[in-house]
Amino acid sequence: MSTTISIDGFTAWLDAFRTRVTENKAYLTELDSAIGDADHGSNMARGMAAVMDKVGAAAPSTADELFKTVGMTLVTSVGGASGPLYGTFFLRFGMTAGSVSECDGPALAAALRAGLEGVVARGKAEANDKTMFDAMAPAIDALDSALASGASLADAVAAARDAAAAGRDATEPLVARKGRASYLGDRSAGHLDPGATSTAMLFDALAEVIAA
Amino acid sequence: MTSVGVVAVSHSPALAEAAIALALEMTATGAPAVIAAAGTADGEIGTDAARIAEAIAEADSGDGVAVIMDLGSAVMSAELALEFVDPNLAERTRLVAAPFVEGLLAAVVRAAGGASLAEVAEEATGALRPKTDHLQSPTPDQDAAGAASAADEPPAPSDASSATATVRNVAGLHARPAAVIAGAVASFDAEVTLLRDDHAQRPPVSAASPIGIATLAAGPGTVVLIRATGPQAAEAVEHVRALIDEGFGEEPAEGQAPTGAAAPAPARVDPTPTGPIGVSSGRVVGPAVVLRRTVREPSASDRVPEDARDGAVSLLREASIRVAERYRERAASVTGQRRTVLEATADMATDPTLVGGVEALIRDGGLTPTRAAWQVSAELAEQYRAAGGLIAERATDLLDVRNRLIAELRGEEPPGVPDRREPFILVADDLAPADTVALDPAVCLALITEQGGPTSHTAIIARELGLPAVVGYPEATSIADGDLLLVDGDTGEVVVRPDPAAQATATGVITLPPFEGPGQTRDGHRVLLGANVGAPRDVARAVERGAEGVGLFRTEFCFLDRDTEPSIDEQVGAYREVFDGFAGQRVVVRTLDAGSDKPLPFLTNDDEPNPALGVRGLRTARRHPDVLERQVQAIARAAEGATADVWVMAPMVATAAEARDFVTLARGAGLATVGVMIETPAAGLTAVEVMREVDFVSLGTNDLAQYTMAADRQSGDLADLANPWQPALLRLIGMIGEASRDTSGTPVGVCGEAAADPDLACVLVGLGVTSLSMAARAITRVGARLGDVELVACRRAAEAAVSAADPAEAKAAARAALG
Repeated sequence: MSTTISIDGFTAWLDAFRTRVTENKAYLTELDSAIGDADHGSNMARGMAAVMDKVGAAAPSTADELFKTVGMTLVTSVGGASGPLYGTFFLRFGMTAGSVSECDGPALAAALRAGLEGVVARGKAEANDKTMFDAMAPAIDALDSALASGASLADAVAAARDAAAAGRDATEPLVARKGRASYLGDRSAGHLDPGATSTAMLFDALAEVIAA
Repeated sequence: MTSVGVVAVSHSPALAEAAIALALEMTATGAPAVIAAAGTADGEIGTDAARIAEAIAEADSGDGVAVIMDLGSAVMSAELALEFVDPNLAERTRLVAAPFVEGLLAAVVRAAGGASLAEVAEEATGALRPKTDHLQSPTPDQDAAGAASAADEPPAPSDASSATATVRNVAGLHARPAAVIAGAVASFDAEVTLLRDDHAQRPPVSAASPIGIATLAAGPGTVVLIRATGPQAAEAVEHVRALIDEGFGEEPAEGQAPTGAAAPAPARVDPTPTGPIGVSSGRVVGPAVVLRRTVREPSASDRVPEDARDGAVSLLREASIRVAERYRERAASVTGQRRTVLEATADMATDPTLVGGVEALIRDGGLTPTRAAWQVSAELAEQYRAAGGLIAERATDLLDVRNRLIAELRGEEPPGVPDRREPFILVADDLAPADTVALDPAVCLALITEQGGPTSHTAIIARELGLPAVVGYPEATSIADGDLLLVDGDTGEVVVRPDPAAQATATGVITLPPFEGPGQTRDGHRVLLGANVGAPRDVARAVERGAEGVGLFRTEFCFLDRDTEPSIDEQVGAYREVFDGFAGQRVVVRTLDAGSDKPLPFLTNDDEPNPALGVRGLRTARRHPDVLERQVQAIARAAEGATADVWVMAPMVATAAEARDFVTLARGAGLATVGVMIETPAAGLTAVEVMREVDFVSLGTNDLAQYTMAADRQSGDLADLANPWQPALLRLIGMIGEASRDTSGTPVGVCGEAAADPDLACVLVGLGVTSLSMAARAITRVGARLGDVELVACRRAAEAAVSAADPAEAKAAARAALG
């Protein structure tokens, strides 16, 4: 079992994420149609397809280059709010990972944490605002604490995946306070947040790749 | 000069493009760099931070960039974009928290004026203010605070300068003129502020701020106070004053010609009038008098306690004496029959039978003085009517006494059009022609009504009398008697209890010098320009305005507002008064035009389903030929010995047979020149046959338009149809003009409102009309216009107007042809 994740691993992660958002395109869009503008699934599928077009064939050899390309591609191709949010996430992720060809657990955790901070800076979201933050923040917290308690990278990422899924599920009763869903007020309650749902997929993809 | 760039970030490329186009329309000079960053790279709806970063770099010329975004991801993408651009550029880029369209306009306009990045950003951030101000009226507290701060203003520094200017252009100080002003003041070393004269309690706005200027919401006619401090204060003030006064080269509002010589406004065509509409020019200040139709019936159950009854009786006696005094004052101000009647009515107010009867009901029954007066006068009026004859006629006077007595006891204005010698502004639900018989334009300053549109009676009456008027003013009648009002008949503005600064903006009714005849085209084609006269009191004004006689003398004033027909003697006296005013000139008398909107109790049936198509005008003679016979006799007697050339005509004629009957009647009475009005399409279509019966015809274009277009002229909703520029109406008039030529030149007059529109007057002349009669105040303008064009141009204008598709096109084509 690997203790690090390489450029190939990162590329596999992105591909697994692409597969999830593509397969769940209709589902994500349906979630978004309940509380938003019904474009999250198609936006993410389009964005990740563009990402894989760019990096699938000839991936840059370092993490910072790879994720800069990913971030910029998402920024220019997603269109909706997830463009700058995921774009910022991956840009910050790459900047923190640096000019390296692989990351160990703490480096991965630090890069993810930087990505989260980028998302917070961009979206100004806080816990329980019914956003992707509600899945991402608990996932990275779980990753940190698992690594701190000496868990393997695979176990730690699995814990992050489970925390992201729990965070996603916890968005259902929340009333949205950010983005277009916030215009719905109380009517936004009773639906999963599409951003939190796709974030959970991101961690599910990561866990799958690390476990492989 | 600094040159700030602007970036428009939107999800939608179409929205960004349209908003930028809108904003660039507002820039008078040197548009700034405005770059759109909208949509995703593949043209989808969305935002793209990389594209925004490129746009920022493109827009920047070293002085910074203001970024205006729509919503959601646009904001996040723009923030992200700042991470992509050069840090120095990011430093001089502002993401502005502004509404997209308003903010973009404000930023572009301000950037075009050479403002700094901070100024551009501030302007855009405040861009929602005009809309907010417009949709939320300020709370009284805010007003009070504003007033306090205005009062605490320090004295003006020595390099201060100020002036006032009146907004002339039809759209007012909207965004483009605001941008022009802001651009202009930027070139002076001065701090310039603007303030509406009628909003003196509000803080002034900076003339460098287009948004600030827009918050003034200054429409045409608004007086704007321009103040400046600084070394170039005087130059800046003069420059701004000239800009505003010259109307920015835009279309001037009706009655707001940029020359400063404002002219009376013809009927505005507003297909959907909502809210107050100014319908007759002028800006005046005066106390309100609210027109009441009736006196409320006093309560029958109220009782005066025994110990208060002496006091109540004293109140009654005092009131009756005051009412009598008022009647005597009015009697002293008139002559002849009216004086005698008013003196007799004054005696009635203190008559022992009336006052004694009322006293008895107060003392014995404990009735209130108002209720007692109500009951006693009701009983007396009943006795008068039962007596019949001349006594019965006094019942109306008695009820007038009753109304005035009750109003006096209540401290109210008596019902009906107030008879005042002090100037006032008449406030009413709506005005009927009958109301205006007693309206003296020398003391009535302006009219305000709740009802009515641009073509309503109030509007027509107001223009006729030359009074500023606002119609459609909601809850006008809830204005209190005596409240000071500022009324602007151009803008529709009404200010209740205006402060002294606002009062000072009143400019009165602007008048032009009198017309100096003769009326003719530049090449000498003679067109008689007469005045419309509705009562003897109009004579002096018509003469003063230079009227060449009277093209329409309405005789209703003798008949309206009364229950019985006036005697022949009374009529002779009234007509003679008018004839004597126009020695040696033509006076065209129209016989009684009752019915429809001018009902008369002794002549017309008020339950017709379709009064405009019912028994009106000459048709009333079908049932009551004697009333017309007596009137024609009275006109003939008044004409005997008068030096005026008296012509007589009948209204509302539809057939040549009707015309023949009237001519027979009038000639039989000794009248030499007899004609008819053409107000029905039927008479117009058979004009040749009608003209063979008569000496002349006169077109009442208001009714002719209403019947031709089948559109009630009082309906504000149909004002576009009842428009006198309708090609259908003009063609019909052209047919009548041809009929005149076919009958060896039967004179064709026009006495409707159309004659008062200078361009339309020329068209009418081109269609063959030989005389025009209009409100006296319009004669100067019409005469000047006519004297400026040749007959051949009038004919070309007529041809162009009749072949136009609609009134607007007809007007434009005629204007073009007239040059």
